[in-house]
Amino acid sequence: MIGIGGQPLFMLPFGDIVLYFTPFTLTLFILALVFTVLVIISKPERQIDIVFGGDAYLAKEISISEMKFRRFMAIACGLASMGAMVTGDIFDFALFTSLVGICNVGIVAAVKSRHVQNAAYQYGLVAMSATVPLFAGAAIVAATTGTLSILELALPGATKVPLFVKALLTLGVMGEGMAPFYAAKAEMFRAPGAPYVIMCSLSSLLIFLRVIEVVLTV
Amino acid sequence: MIHYLLFAVFFGLLLLGIHRKVIARIQRRPGPPVWQEILHMFKFSFKSTWIPQTASETLFVAVVLIAIGIWTAAFFIVLAGGSLLIIFGIYMLHKIVEHGFGLSSGSPYGKFGGVRSVISAASEIPLFVSVAAITLFTKSLSISDIIAYQEVSGPLILVIPLVAVAMYMVIVSKMPFGPFSIVESKELVSGYKTEHFGVWRAGLEICNGLKTYVLLMTFILVFIGAVPFWLMLVLMVLIVVTLSFVCALCPMLSPFDSVTVQTLITAVMIVYVALLWWLL
Repeated sequence: MIGIGGQPLFMLPFGDIVLYFTPFTLTLFILALVFTVLVIISKPERQIDIVFGGDAYLAKEISISEMKFRRFMAIACGLASMGAMVTGDIFDFALFTSLVGICNVGIVAAVKSRHVQNAAYQYGLVAMSATVPLFAGAAIVAATTGTLSILELALPGATKVPLFVKALLTLGVMGEGMAPFYAAKAEMFRAPGAPYVIMCSLSSLLIFLRVIEVVLTV
Repeated sequence: MIHYLLFAVFFGLLLLGIHRKVIARIQRRPGPPVWQEILHMFKFSFKSTWIPQTASETLFVAVVLIAIGIWTAAFFIVLAGGSLLIIFGIYMLHKIVEHGFGLSSGSPYGKFGGVRSVISAASEIPLFVSVAAITLFTKSLSISDIIAYQEVSGPLILVIPLVAVAMYMVIVSKMPFGPFSIVESKELVSGYKTEHFGVWRAGLEICNGLKTYVLLMTFILVFIGAVPFWLMLVLMVLIVVTLSFVCALCPMLSPFDSVTVQTLITAVMIVYVALLWWLL
């Protein structure tokens, strides 16, 4: 029994680290996969900026090197999101979540614009700070229950994870998942978006949905 | 099952038509006929279709298919009595789809619609508070278990009315012409869907019809319980009429105010659920 995510459909044990799919995590994994494939095969948008107060408009071109870097970061972010969906270990979940945060900073920071890089810098500070409650939460789970396995913690009769630890994990994910707000801030200053920025929104949403499942399960 | 899916699309579009008609009558306008949204869907299906030169072509087309795909999946999950958490996950993923619609075209109007969609993520947080409150009582998030719980203990709307109100506000935030409809407000032309025209817009209309049907069906099943099919349709119409009154009487908020109001609702809900948890 694995709580509210549903019965596991598939398990792949690597020693004490178990990867598994429930109907819930499988749904999220498939979405991460679909969007990662989209990032790989899509060409970026070509932006149009309107000059206010007149009829003029400007078309922006993205350099190949910038596009390659953002694509690499978006793919890495998709892979990290998929990892966070399949893992059955709270420490690995924390690790994948922090990787999602790093990749999201990279996606935004690659744009060579002062405003956009300011947004990326501010998000980087938030993401870095959020690693403290995130990993502290994982460490306290191990200290209080003796295991990091979500499967073990979901068993009836298992030691319950304290409420404040669940709050720490959620706080950590909220910090790492702040990316869409900063990506939106960057877009307002006309950072080229599709299809890379969408990975910021998607990965943040996925890790947020997964942590809700985790804290309601353990 | 396919015939029921088609029925859901058309009935959902009819509900959106009723929504427009009621708003118009409240504002003393004749308004369009109630089947106008169905006509829109057919009209767009046969209009010329293009992809803007500035668009990210693959994403531009893929988001339409993903939008229809996720709500079709949600429809079948509700019918099968599956997990409420997956339905709420899909509801939140719709935000990504809106963002994708806005981003993919390269248009500044679409992009600002997408950006507003991201910043209005506050509207989703009451969903999780609702989930937590429902779990406190039913000990399960399976829709079939929630229905079974209500057969024994009565409708959840009477047990946890504020949670039902929070869910109702979530539906308000997704209704067109509402106080929180900042993603498609008129200063952005049509917001995130500005550049999606022709068949792509017809696909979006199908998605909107299905989304309306699924959200209302979920609300009824989770807070009122299993009811005969005809009664469910009547309840859907009644809920839409109440939503129309809210949308007609409340002005559209500015993006900042919209997020502030939604955050305040979330704060009230968190206190309410904490109180429930304490009392139980």
